[in-house]
Amino acid sequence: MGPSLRRHNLNIQAVKMAIKQRKAIIFAISIATAVVLILWKPTVLIYGLQAAGLYAAVAIPMGLVLGIVHIVNLSHGEFMMLASYATYTVCRALGVDPLIALIPAALVTALFGWVVFQLTIRRALKAPELNQLILTFGLAIAFSQIINLIFTSQTYKLSLEYSSMSLDIGDLSFGVWSFVFVAVAVIYAVGLQMFLTKTRTGKAALAVGQNPKGAAIVGIDVYRTYGLVFALAIGLVGAMGALFLTKSAIFPGVGSPFTMKSFSLVAMAGIGNIPGILGASVLLGLAENFLRSFRGTRDWAEIVYFVLIIAVILSRSLKGKKS
Amino acid sequence: MKRMMLVLAVLVLFAGSAFAQGTTKLEGTIKLGGIWTLADITGKQGSAAAQLAVDEINAAGGVLGKKLELIVVDDEGKADKAAAAVEKLATVDKVDVFVGGMASGAELGKIPAFKKYGKVVMSTGAAGSATVEKALGPSPESDFYFHLHPWDYNQGASYAEGWDAIQKKYPQIQIKKIFLAYEEGAFGKSSWDATKVLFGSDKRYTIDGASFKSALLGGGDYTAVLEAAKAFKPDLFIWAGYDADALPMLEQAKAMKFSPGIYLGAPPGWPIGFGSSKLARNVMLYGMWSPAINDINPVSAKFYKNYIAKYREEPATYFAPLAYSAVYIVAEGIKAAGTTETGPLVKALEQTKYVSPLGEVITFKPSNIIKHQGITRQKILQWQNGIQEVIWPFETATAEPVYPFPAWK
Repeated sequence: MGPSLRRHNLNIQAVKMAIKQRKAIIFAISIATAVVLILWKPTVLIYGLQAAGLYAAVAIPMGLVLGIVHIVNLSHGEFMMLASYATYTVCRALGVDPLIALIPAALVTALFGWVVFQLTIRRALKAPELNQLILTFGLAIAFSQIINLIFTSQTYKLSLEYSSMSLDIGDLSFGVWSFVFVAVAVIYAVGLQMFLTKTRTGKAALAVGQNPKGAAIVGIDVYRTYGLVFALAIGLVGAMGALFLTKSAIFPGVGSPFTMKSFSLVAMAGIGNIPGILGASVLLGLAENFLRSFRGTRDWAEIVYFVLIIAVILSRSLKGKKS
Repeated sequence: MKRMMLVLAVLVLFAGSAFAQGTTKLEGTIKLGGIWTLADITGKQGSAAAQLAVDEINAAGGVLGKKLELIVVDDEGKADKAAAAVEKLATVDKVDVFVGGMASGAELGKIPAFKKYGKVVMSTGAAGSATVEKALGPSPESDFYFHLHPWDYNQGASYAEGWDAIQKKYPQIQIKKIFLAYEEGAFGKSSWDATKVLFGSDKRYTIDGASFKSALLGGGDYTAVLEAAKAFKPDLFIWAGYDADALPMLEQAKAMKFSPGIYLGAPPGWPIGFGSSKLARNVMLYGMWSPAINDINPVSAKFYKNYIAKYREEPATYFAPLAYSAVYIVAEGIKAAGTTETGPLVKALEQTKYVSPLGEVITFKPSNIIKHQGITRQKILQWQNGIQEVIWPFETATAEPVYPFPAWK
């Protein structure tokens, strides 16, 4: 082994060590924060995690599309809204619980996502990014207006006993149903990670995401893969639409704020970094709820995510300059 | 025999003329220009109720031998579209009178055009006194404008009056501490400012409040505001938000075991099926009309029955009977004036005494700025067994209040 190769190996080891150290520091800070919050403001931790779960579960499918298909889907939240309305209609008509309708809602929305991809998005993949943005923005408007025409702007909400399930710990009473979003977010993150690294289709998707031309050369059907990934993401967001119905009222504009929040979280985490979306969501959820817990800072909670995005993007660009 | 034939001929003549009278073809039309936000339930049902009133009036012989015609334009809730709607209705359709309206922002956009054409306006919305009433200005420049909906200060004053009256009549209801959870937009903030002035100025009540982001604007997490309210231990908890907040906030309140003496919601409308939820039991609300009024008011019962027969849905907002009333008031005014000319019609409308489906007789009196203000009082209602029962004013009450708000089980 020559001296330059030895030096190279040493450098790799140093980088690996630095990454390990950074992970250990982040882990230690997270544990310390959790302990402080449990002792000082337990509701911030409880409600912060619940909010984080919801944000992450909606944002992860967008991260998947952005990481592999490389388009910013501005109709992401509207697909969730459509799934919520479809689930609501089925639940009212058949008297079933949204949890029973969850899987069918995911499948139908995935199919719908695939059709929308083939009819519209596929044709704009080679177009400039602005055209793609305009296309998906147009889809978002079309979806919400169609729902407005059919259902009007009146809000709908299913009244479900389990939505107000609560737990008492000492004097503290809090809702526990929203922890379901935390579970879903973790399932999505772990499931997608496994899908992308362990399955043949997932590996193909990863290859297409990294280098579509190279993937095509080795025989992967790029557009078919894009379509599958898009349908999968829309199916996941469709399942969230059914689940969202258990917590929130629905109306034509219910999805659009989630598009913006999801995009911000994906940007914070870095494109293609699905576990990073979980981390960014926890940071956002905790920060928002921390500010809301004080009288003087209650109204500031809504600007937290702008501040976080700016901070993350600034630090990333500074780091990029350094390296 | 000749006599018999003569009697028969006279009878046939009478019958013929009576038949002819019953099927008189109305010559000419009186055009009403209706402007609503049609994608919104208030506008959708408001315009539908106005059309119902037009159909009823035409079936009963029209006005001055003419048929009423309602031409509806959608303002999409935007000031510029609303202004364009006035222009179109005045110049293209050449309407005689304007009706409709809901959001203050859109109404504000119409006012310069209304003033330009000077036709009578029977407004069914716009509570914002600081914007709309100010823009209208005092008499005589705003005399063409008849405002049916209470202004925001009318509403606030009626709530204070209502709670005083309720505490006097029901001594078990004692309110010392009031907490207002208000959505962080203009509607919520103005509610908070008004609450502080109305309930907090004479130190009879201790007031606290906190804002939340409405689900309608991308929020939907009420835990922080409910934690603050729970710590305050209010006798009266009021939330000022939108229909999308109604059930989720109750679910979160139940999960946190927050059960104040009175839990009151003040959204512009309630979500479909809210009353059927167990959580809705004994929730109080502010409003102007509910189907419960049908039991004490035949005009309300007639409106309700005919609305359901025509549209196969229940009127879910008080803007429906309000728009229905607006058309009837205009029709009676035109009949009394004998014309649609602004001067005589304004004079005739000033004499209005319309027994409305809202449970009160509508007359016009001066408000803080304009000369023609219709309704000035809101009602305090309570959801009881899925129905909005009127608790106050007592003259239109349909049930006794249930107090306190039951603790969560």
